[in-house]
Amino acid sequence: MPDKPEQPQIDPRTAWERYRPTDASPWDVKKVGHLYRRAAFGATMAELEEGLRAGPDRTVDLLLQGKPDRDNLLGVTAEMVLGIPAGAGGGQQATAWWLYRMMYAPHPLREKITLFWHNHFATSNRKVNNAGYMIGQYELMRRHAQGSFRTMLREMSTDPAMMVWLDTNQSQRNQPNENYARELMELFSLGINNYRRPGQRNYTEQDIRQAARAFTGLRLEGGRSGFRANQHDDGEKTVLGQTGRWRPADIVRICLEQESAPYFVAAKLFRFLVSETIPATPELLEPLARRFRESDYNFGEMLETVLRSNLFFSAQVYRSRVKPPVDFALEIVRGLQGRMGTTALVTVLEGLGQRPFYPPSVAGWDAGRAWLNGQTLLFRHNLALGLTSTTDDRFGRRTDPARLARDNNVRSDEEVVDFFLRLFLQNDVPANARNRLLEYARRAHNGPVPVYWSQRDAEEQRVRAICHLVLTLPEFQLS
Amino acid sequence: MFTRRDFLKTGSSMVALGGSVPLFLNRTAAQAPASDRPGGRDTILVVVQLTGGNDGLNTVIPFRDDAYNRARPTLRQPANQIHRINDDIGLHPAMNALHGLHQDNSLCIVQGVGYPNPSQSHFRSMDVWQAGSTARDLPEGWIGKALRNIPGAASFHLANNNESAPLALTGAPVRVPSIRSLEDFQLRVEASSNRDRQSLRSVIESTAAPSSASSGGLLDFVQRTAVNTFASSRRLEQLGRSYQPRVPYPNTPLGNHLRLAAQLIDGGLGARLFYTSLDNFDTHAAQALSHTNLLRTLSDAVSAFYRDMSARGHRDRVLVMTFSEFGRRVHENGSRGTDHGAAAPMFLVGGRVRNGLVGAHPSLTQLDQDNLRHHTDFRQVYAAILDRWLGVPSRQVLGQEFRPVDVFRA
Repeated sequence: MPDKPEQPQIDPRTAWERYRPTDASPWDVKKVGHLYRRAAFGATMAELEEGLRAGPDRTVDLLLQGKPDRDNLLGVTAEMVLGIPAGAGGGQQATAWWLYRMMYAPHPLREKITLFWHNHFATSNRKVNNAGYMIGQYELMRRHAQGSFRTMLREMSTDPAMMVWLDTNQSQRNQPNENYARELMELFSLGINNYRRPGQRNYTEQDIRQAARAFTGLRLEGGRSGFRANQHDDGEKTVLGQTGRWRPADIVRICLEQESAPYFVAAKLFRFLVSETIPATPELLEPLARRFRESDYNFGEMLETVLRSNLFFSAQVYRSRVKPPVDFALEIVRGLQGRMGTTALVTVLEGLGQRPFYPPSVAGWDAGRAWLNGQTLLFRHNLALGLTSTTDDRFGRRTDPARLARDNNVRSDEEVVDFFLRLFLQNDVPANARNRLLEYARRAHNGPVPVYWSQRDAEEQRVRAICHLVLTLPEFQLS
Repeated sequence: MFTRRDFLKTGSSMVALGGSVPLFLNRTAAQAPASDRPGGRDTILVVVQLTGGNDGLNTVIPFRDDAYNRARPTLRQPANQIHRINDDIGLHPAMNALHGLHQDNSLCIVQGVGYPNPSQSHFRSMDVWQAGSTARDLPEGWIGKALRNIPGAASFHLANNNESAPLALTGAPVRVPSIRSLEDFQLRVEASSNRDRQSLRSVIESTAAPSSASSGGLLDFVQRTAVNTFASSRRLEQLGRSYQPRVPYPNTPLGNHLRLAAQLIDGGLGARLFYTSLDNFDTHAAQALSHTNLLRTLSDAVSAFYRDMSARGHRDRVLVMTFSEFGRRVHENGSRGTDHGAAAPMFLVGGRVRNGLVGAHPSLTQLDQDNLRHHTDFRQVYAAILDRWLGVPSRQVLGQEFRPVDVFRA
């Protein structure tokens, strides 16, 4: 079922210009929440209020640069890597480790964009079977997450996890394996069809076969990529019209000279950061793609342009993505200021359909509506219960809405309802939904409780229940 | 080979539809296959994996063969206790229930099943069977791939504790859930009383209701998914309360899994594919008692499931398939057990199967490294199930053409 374009008229000339608050589109807490959902893993109440005071420019600055790493989380987690078994068996820990960084690292945008790249270069430990390689690839993507796409693409060709995933490690001079060459063009840089002229193919099977010859000779040696000249096909290859004795870096260069390349990457960023419902037309992407090429594929610059743009803060873009499972879980924990281990979340996220380091295929996660079905929606609601209750063994008492409410001096039923609605949905829900929550609170206030509960037990239970209800609102499934 | 990439190119509209249609709901008319072709009766497949390598030779037994008696000095089963399928071949004494299905014309035994250059690694061989391929890398499962062609079909992994979804189910357009009980599908709340529970659920359900006519937007999609989900969840809950099996199920984990499958099928939720496993077939030592118990567990549970389904009018819709990653060595070892082997039989149980033996028992004297040689590739059995039972083109799943074994009645 195609999404109806809600407001099809978007002017590409002004879409990417810098957003300035106006009377019609003021800077408000909804926009802060929107920004933190897309460019981080949700906001705490303090971040919402601070963003509201600081305005769009300074809030985007903060997200782009990250906060000072006061707790040395990057250093501590970098040491934790040493404890993860490098080979088989470290997969669960590797995922938990990255989730921990997403949740607590001082630079959530960087982790988020690294997750974007993980979806782009989707590599699964199911085949790689080496947590060390997976984390190595993560480091590569994180290093370049807000930097040069050209450099990242070049380094990806010799990334150990990628070499195992797409078989360059096995590629023989006389029988080149085409797996990497194909995905380099189809999924990493160009796409099958020309972005501006959809009937036209970007490359032929012949181009793939020729390019595959350039990637022969790569070998993993002691966990690092090496080059064996005697396994490399040193002959002339003709790829996308250019003839020479090409090596891997040449193929990357040739791909990035193609007309489609900047559009292809811009479109992926658009779907990830801007909207799953607005069509990424060539006209709309043109200003981004042109600048991306002119800047020699400076991805960080394009990212900044998008995050500061009119379109990003527009009504059409607001809540126009289905919230991915990782975001769903982390927004709750971050919002509740929970301090918890992430191992239990790995299993839960697998059930919700998004386990980092284990994408379903080289094409990444389908995302959008594919995230939600009868099972995953129930699992989401039950995860929200697990995180807001204090009796779920998996998560313990580390994320307690009652404690958070107490710390924020939130007491009456109405205050509790509005506090959690603001924290998670910036109060942007139908009046009807708020009324039902208030009604529930009133009813619960007067209802029976087990005889051994103290007054305080009953109050805290009510706060947790209200928080759970807020997290089951359909609006919370959107980003 | 049919890849995910091909699928995304050609079938993305199906994926989108599969994602938006709540899985529990009956399939819509548009998705339902015509009733005059395979899959048209909403056919159901239940795969029972025998984990560890089942001793096929002591399951379907060539009891008249002297070579059998020589190869199994301590483990051979007495001829007078074997449940005869014909004058030469019979079932292990513990499988009287399965033999009863044979007498009811509902048991097909495919003998001598395997694949070329068989691996004797549990892991590798299990991957081969689950992927339906002998390729070096096996990222996707045969059922997961099949599900791409029947995107509206609900499917379930009936899991043992702490068992994650098997490779066989990966690659499906919507992740196949591992479930242990109907409670997994309940909308849980934490309440201070029964009234509070009602009231919490009612808030969750009422705030999810779409406010107006369909806008086609994302919020509308979430709301509709939610409303359908809650309806299905309530239905499953009632199912749990109202369902009474027509025949008693054995109180074993496998019995409970199949009973759960029966509940889901009988609930009319569009559930068509089930996957479950029975472990501990790796009988290297003192296997007589443990193997007997395993075969009884299998036989009793499958038989109860089939009889329950038949009594509910699903006789011609169900098919149970068993497999193991390999059979075991022909000659028993010095520990009264058997080591890893190769070819083995598969069982197919259902109202539409060809009753009796398919293919000869492999020779016990012409061996390959002391193991039975296969004459039927397991993918020929898969091909029959895909093409003729589920209505899924087997070539798309298996990557090449396999001649289907004749296991169904015309």
